[in-house]
Amino acid sequence: MKEVARYGFILALICIIAAGLLAGVNTLTRSKIAAQAQAEEQAALKEVMPQAAKFTEVKLGQEKLYYKAVDTQDNLIGFVFTANGKGYSSVIKTLTGMFLNGKISAIKVMSLNETPGLGMRVTKNSFTRQFNNQDALSLSGVQAITGATISSKAIMNSVVKKAQEIKELIKSEK
Amino acid sequence: MKSLVKEFTKGIIKENATFVLALGLCPTLAVSVSVVNGIGMGIAATFVLLGSSLIVSLIKDFIPSKIRIPCYIVIIATFVTIAELCLKAYSPALDRSLGIYVPLIVVNCMVLGRAEAFACKNNLISSFCDGLGMGVGFTLALILISAIREFLGSGQILGYTLFKGFEPVFVFGMPSGALLVIGLLLGFFNLLNNKKT
Repeated sequence: MKEVARYGFILALICIIAAGLLAGVNTLTRSKIAAQAQAEEQAALKEVMPQAAKFTEVKLGQEKLYYKAVDTQDNLIGFVFTANGKGYSSVIKTLTGMFLNGKISAIKVMSLNETPGLGMRVTKNSFTRQFNNQDALSLSGVQAITGATISSKAIMNSVVKKAQEIKELIKSEK
Repeated sequence: MKSLVKEFTKGIIKENATFVLALGLCPTLAVSVSVVNGIGMGIAATFVLLGSSLIVSLIKDFIPSKIRIPCYIVIIATFVTIAELCLKAYSPALDRSLGIYVPLIVVNCMVLGRAEAFACKNNLISSFCDGLGMGVGFTLALILISAIREFLGSGQILGYTLFKGFEPVFVFGMPSGALLVIGLLLGFFNLLNNKKT
């Protein structure tokens, strides 16, 4: 019994020291990690809508709905939203920029886990470039990639669906 | 001094973690798609290995042998978390491409294996040399595997295209390609070692 208490004490001591050390490292890196995440988000937003100068989040409770994009004169020029579509082996997250007239500025695939060499090709510029200047509700000029139809369609359908939702939201706001 | 050099060099060739001991193959298979990943993983694992080897050899007389494994795991997990936080803060791109395999260094049997087989029986300085040697050996092995895979799988080395008109072989970018490369390299290193003896 005495031995068990001694073992417990030693293990607890090691754990306490480890926890203290980690707390220290966490305080040192926390602000840096948050800044990195923020910078990454801004860079991604800028990529899908280079014309905008500033992005402001629109939230419903805790949930992020979309971003409003404004130019240097503070005029609203469009919206940026994230669309999630079920691909072949993962959920494909796509960041989409849309102008006020419903045309897409650009899209960027944020995260996916599709088959390398097949579905993964949807991240390539030759595919995502097709979305530029398309009508967000029809995407009539976008061709799915041969051999990656499911992944391509997942992106297209999710973008169209989300664009519809955003349009409804904006309409109801007005 | 001579024995210290020996402790260091044995991890690189004679007892190479990947090719001879065949330890820590899971992260090796998973992250060796590009040389940058290989180097990042190697450095992270070396850091953890060095830290845990040092601490384990420092407090080896304090840890009762009956509860040594949980103690080692706590020490290793602490270093892994430090490495992960630092990666997230200073190199988010690398952190994203290594993904889940950084936290998984905790269960990399190479790290626990060194703590159990070497650091808990030897003094601070030889444990340091052993950890460093093993880490460097692991890193070099990762670089070798990932260089072969990156070249064959995507026609590039460190992101630079070497030859024009080289058609990449997709299978080398996938896990099955990693198994092929590691298997052949293992055979090759065994052949070398057998010839020597």
